[in-house]
Amino acid sequence: MSELKWGDRELAYDSSAFVRGSGHYVDDIKLPGMIHMSVLRSPYARARILSLKGGMSSKDLGARMASVGEGASPEAGLSIEPVFATGFVNYVGEPVAAVFADDRYKSTDLLESIEVDYEPLEPVVTIDDALKLGPIHSGRKDNIMVETSKGTDFQDPESPIVIEDTLENDRISANPIEPRGIVTSYTDGMLNVWISTQAVHSVKEGLVESLGISPESVRVMQTDTGGGFGSKGGLYPEYVMASYASMKFGKPVKWIETRREHLASTNPGRGVRGKVKIFAERNGRINGLKGEVTIDAGAYDSGIASFSPGFVAMQMTGPYSIEKAFVVARALFTNKVPQGPYRGAGRPEASFFIERMMDMLADELAMDPADLRLLNMSDKPFVSPMGLKIDAARPFFEGAVRELEYRRESKMSRGVGLSFFVLVPAVYPGESARIIVKDGKVSVWLGGNSHGQGHEIFVKKLINEELQVPEELVTLYRGDTGMTKTGVGTWGSRSAIVAGAAIVAVCKKIKQEVEKEFGSYSVRSLLSSGYDEFINNELKMPLNSFGANLATVEIEKMGRVRVKKCAAYYDVGRALNRDMVIGQIQGGMAQGIGQTLHEGLFYNKEGQLITSSISDAGVPLAEDLPNFIVNIVENRSFLPHGAKGLGEAPTVGVPTALTRAIESVSGKRLRRTPVTPEELMK
Amino acid sequence: MHPSSFEYFAPTKMEEALELLSKYGEDAKIMSGGQSLIPLLKLRIASFPYVIDISGVQGLNRITENKEFLEIGALTTISSIADSELIKKRYQILHEAAGQIADPLIRNRGTIGGNISHGDPSNDIPAVAIALKANLEVIGKEGKRIVEAHSFVTDSFTNVLKVGEILNKIRIPVAPDNSGGCYIKQKKSAGDFSVAAIAVQLSLHDNDSVKSAGIGLTSVAPKPTRAMKAERFLEGKKINDSVVREAAKIVVSESDPSTDFYGSSEFKRKVLGKIAEEAINLSFERATVR
Ligand SMILES: Cc1cc2nc3c(=O)[nH]c(=O)nc-3n(C[C@H](O)[C@H](O)[C@H](O)COP(=O)(O)OP(=O)(O)OC[C@H]3O[C@@H](n4cnc5c(N)ncnc54)[C@H](O)[C@@H]3O)c2cc1C
Repeated sequence: MSELKWGDRELAYDSSAFVRGSGHYVDDIKLPGMIHMSVLRSPYARARILSLKGGMSSKDLGARMASVGEGASPEAGLSIEPVFATGFVNYVGEPVAAVFADDRYKSTDLLESIEVDYEPLEPVVTIDDALKLGPIHSGRKDNIMVETSKGTDFQDPESPIVIEDTLENDRISANPIEPRGIVTSYTDGMLNVWISTQAVHSVKEGLVESLGISPESVRVMQTDTGGGFGSKGGLYPEYVMASYASMKFGKPVKWIETRREHLASTNPGRGVRGKVKIFAERNGRINGLKGEVTIDAGAYDSGIASFSPGFVAMQMTGPYSIEKAFVVARALFTNKVPQGPYRGAGRPEASFFIERMMDMLADELAMDPADLRLLNMSDKPFVSPMGLKIDAARPFFEGAVRELEYRRESKMSRGVGLSFFVLVPAVYPGESARIIVKDGKVSVWLGGNSHGQGHEIFVKKLINEELQVPEELVTLYRGDTGMTKTGVGTWGSRSAIVAGAAIVAVCKKIKQEVEKEFGSYSVRSLLSSGYDEFINNELKMPLNSFGANLATVEIEKMGRVRVKKCAAYYDVGRALNRDMVIGQIQGGMAQGIGQTLHEGLFYNKEGQLITSSISDAGVPLAEDLPNFIVNIVENRSFLPHGAKGLGEAPTVGVPTALTRAIESVSGKRLRRTPVTPEELMK
Repeated sequence: MHPSSFEYFAPTKMEEALELLSKYGEDAKIMSGGQSLIPLLKLRIASFPYVIDISGVQGLNRITENKEFLEIGALTTISSIADSELIKKRYQILHEAAGQIADPLIRNRGTIGGNISHGDPSNDIPAVAIALKANLEVIGKEGKRIVEAHSFVTDSFTNVLKVGEILNKIRIPVAPDNSGGCYIKQKKSAGDFSVAAIAVQLSLHDNDSVKSAGIGLTSVAPKPTRAMKAERFLEGKKINDSVVREAAKIVVSESDPSTDFYGSSEFKRKVLGKIAEEAINLSFERATVR
C-alpha cells in the first residue's frame, strides 16, 4: 500500500479483514525511494564499547529515550534507555548502530561492515545478582531503580499461624503475531510516521521529546496492528532512529522487527518476585500481611518498571478484607532488556502472590480453599490498607463458587484450582474521541488504538444507541494524531470503559448541537448537517471489578500437564458485545495457560538469551488448550454505558487457578511460573 | 531473517549435482528439503556462496523392498515415510518416528537424507537408523561407498561426508521374524524436538531371549548416540522387569545430555530412563506378537 488518506476504506478498522487476510500492516507500506533500516545489537549483556566504526550510532544521535506510556513517572528521569548505546552496552540486544540500504537483504549485509570493539564486563543477570553485585550504572550506589512502600508498617501480631513464602513469575515475551514495525517519511518539514502500535499519542510524544521537534511537525498514524499485549504501548529506540534517519536522508525509512529481535529487544513483562508473610487465626481469619515485591526491571527504566513496584504492592491483599498490610516494593536494574507491560502488567503478579498464599494457608489449616477465601472477604465495600477499593466481595464469590460448580468439581477430582481476584483497570486519565458527521456519514477516531480487540464493534453500537445512526453509516478509523489532538492508548483493560465513555460524551455533545440547530434531535437532521466534535473525556474514579477462575488438570507421564477445563466467571459490567467479550476471555485464558505451563525468557549466567526463537519461548499451542467455559456476569458500572474492565482478567485469574490445580494433583508446592515438567517430576 | 546472497542451482541429474559440488567445493552446500538449511541461512548462522538444490534429482524419492533390504532414496520426504503402508506394516519404529517429526508442513518438504545428514543430535531419524542398523550409501564423483548409520554423524552438525559427496540411499536390513521395535519421543509441545527420545529394535530367538538389539538415542548427547553397551547387555537375555530396569540404567549411562530450556541434564536422564524402560518393554511386546 502507498499513502492513504482519510476516507479510504483501508484506513478503517475492520476486524473481519484479519480473518480474510486483507489487513493493511506497516510492512505493506511501500513508498517511493524508501530505504530499509537494520539494527546492530549488543552481543554482550554488559560491556564497555572501546571503539565503534560505521553505521549510524550515538555519535550521530546523542538523543535519549523519552519515558512514555502506562505509568510514566517523574522519577523516571534517570537511567532511561539511550537510542543508541553510549559508551556501554547493558543488555544482549541493545541497539548499538543502524544501517540503511534500499532493501532488507542489503541492509542486513551492511551490519557486517560495522566494527565494534567491546570489553566485556561482569553482568548482573538475576534479581539475586542485582542485590549482591555492584551497580550496573556508574554514578549509582546500588541497583535499586526505585523503592516504595504501601500500607502502614505494623508490629507482628501474635497470631497462632504465620506462613511465609517466596513466589515468582518469570519474564514473558509478548510475542504478538506481528512484531514491531515503523515507516517514517519527512517531507516539507513534516515527519509522518506509520506504525504498528497501541497508542499513536505515546509514540508522538516520545518522538517530540526525544528528537526535540515541535508537536506540530509530527503526525503518527496507526496501521493495522497484529497484536501488542502491552509491548507496543510506548516509544522504542528504533522509532527514534528511523525518524531521525528519514529527516537526515530525506527518504522514507522502514524498519520491521524480526522475531529474534522481538524476543531479545522488545520489553517483556512479568519478571517479578514476591515474598509474603501472612498472620492468621486458627479459624483461618487473616490478621495481617507483610510483603516484599521485587521487579527485575532490566537495564533501563521503561517507565512501567518504576511504576510497577507500587502498583503490584497496592494490589497485594487482593479482594480480601485484610485490615493490616504493609508491602515494601522495589525495582532493580539487571543487565537484561528493560521490563515492560504485558497483558496484566502487575495485576497477575500481585494476584499470584496473594492467591498462592491463600491456598497455602488453606493447606496449613486443612481447610477448603474456597471456605478460607469466603472467611476473609466482606459483605460490604472495603478499602484496603494500601488504598485498593473493592466492592462487596462475598456475594460475587458465592456466585462464582456456585456457577463454576467448584464443590462438585472438587469432590470429583483432586486436580482443581479456584482463583478470585479484583481487576484494577487503567482508567486514569480517561480517553479522547472525535466524531465528524459529514455527507450523511459518521467518522470516528479514538485516542487509544485497537490492536486486534475490535473497538469498531462497540463504537458502532454506542453511536447507534446514543444517536440512532445505523451502524453501517459509522466508520471507526485507525489511530491518527492528525485527527485527535490528544489521546492515551489501549491497555490496562480500559478501552470499553474510557473510550466507550468518551464516545458517549461526544455523542451527547453532538446531540445538543443538533437540538440547538433543529429544535429537536433526529437522525435525519443529524445526517443532513455537518458536525465535528472532539472531547478529551477525563475519568479518574477507580472502576474495579471481580473475577474468578476454575481450572482442572491431569498430569500425564513425564510431568506433562493436560488442562481439562478452564472456566471463567467475570463481572464485565454491561457486555457491549457478547461475542467480543467471549473472544477476549478465551484469548486471555490461552495466554494464562501459556504463562503457567510454557512461557518464559531464560538467560544463562552470561546474560545471553537462551529462548531466542518463538518455539523456545513457548507460546501455547492448540493442543494445549481445553474447552473454555465462559460465564459472564453483567453488573453495570456507574458509567452511562455500563462497561467495566475485561481484557486482562484472564491473565490474572488463570495462572493462579491453574497453578493450584497442578499443585493439588501433584502434591508439590508450586512457587513460580512457568510450572515445568521437570519441577513436577522432582 | 534475510540470508546473504548466494547463487542457486537446481540440477535434475545426479551427475550434474556431483559436477557442481566438485566445481565449487567447500563453497557449495547441498539443499534437499531446506527445512534445516534455510533457517540457518536466514539467521545467518551459516552462509554459502553456492546452494545446490538436489530436490529435483530424479529417482531418489522411492521406497522399495527386496529380500535383503528396505531401500529409501535420500530425497524421500518425511511425510512419504510416515504415510507409507509398507513402512507402517513392517517398520513400525520408522513409521512412529516420522509421524512425530515437526509438523505436516515441515514433513512435506524435509527429507530423510537431510534429516540424517544435518547431524542435529535432536533430529529423530538418525537414532532410528542406528537402531535398525541401517547402511547409508554415499555417492561421489569417485563412486559409491557404504557407511554404517551409527558412524555417520561424527559430532554436532558434522558427518563423515567428504566435500562433493551426497547421501544417496538408506538401506535397512529386512528384519527377521520375531522382531519388533518402537520410537518413543518425549516432547515439550506439539511439533517440537524432543526432551529425549529413544529408538529400540529387538529380534528374538524362538525361546524369546534377545537375539539382537539396536538402540539409538536422540537429544541426549552432542550427537545421535548408539547405546551399544545396553544392546550387548540385552543380547542373549530374556526380558523381565529387572533386565529392563538394568538395561535402562545402562542406556542412561551412555547418554551425555546438556542443560538447556528443555530441562537440566538430570531431568533429561530421568526422562530417558523412563522412556528406555517403556521402549524396551514395548519392543519386546511387539516382537512376541506372532
Ligand atoms: C520448526 C521445526 C521443527 C522441527 N522439528 C523436528 C523434529 O522434531 N525432529 C526432526 O527430526 N527434525 C525436525 N526438524 C528438522 C526437519 O525434520 C529437517 O529439516 C529435515 O528433516 C531435514 O531435511 P531437509 O531435506 O529439509 O534438509 P535440508 O535443510 O535441505 O538440509 C539439511 C542439511 O543436510 C545436508 N543435506 C541435505 N540432503 C543431503 C544429502 N542427500 N546428502 C548430503 N547432505 C545433505 C544439507 O547440506 C544441510 O547441511 C524441524 C525443523 C523445523 C524447522
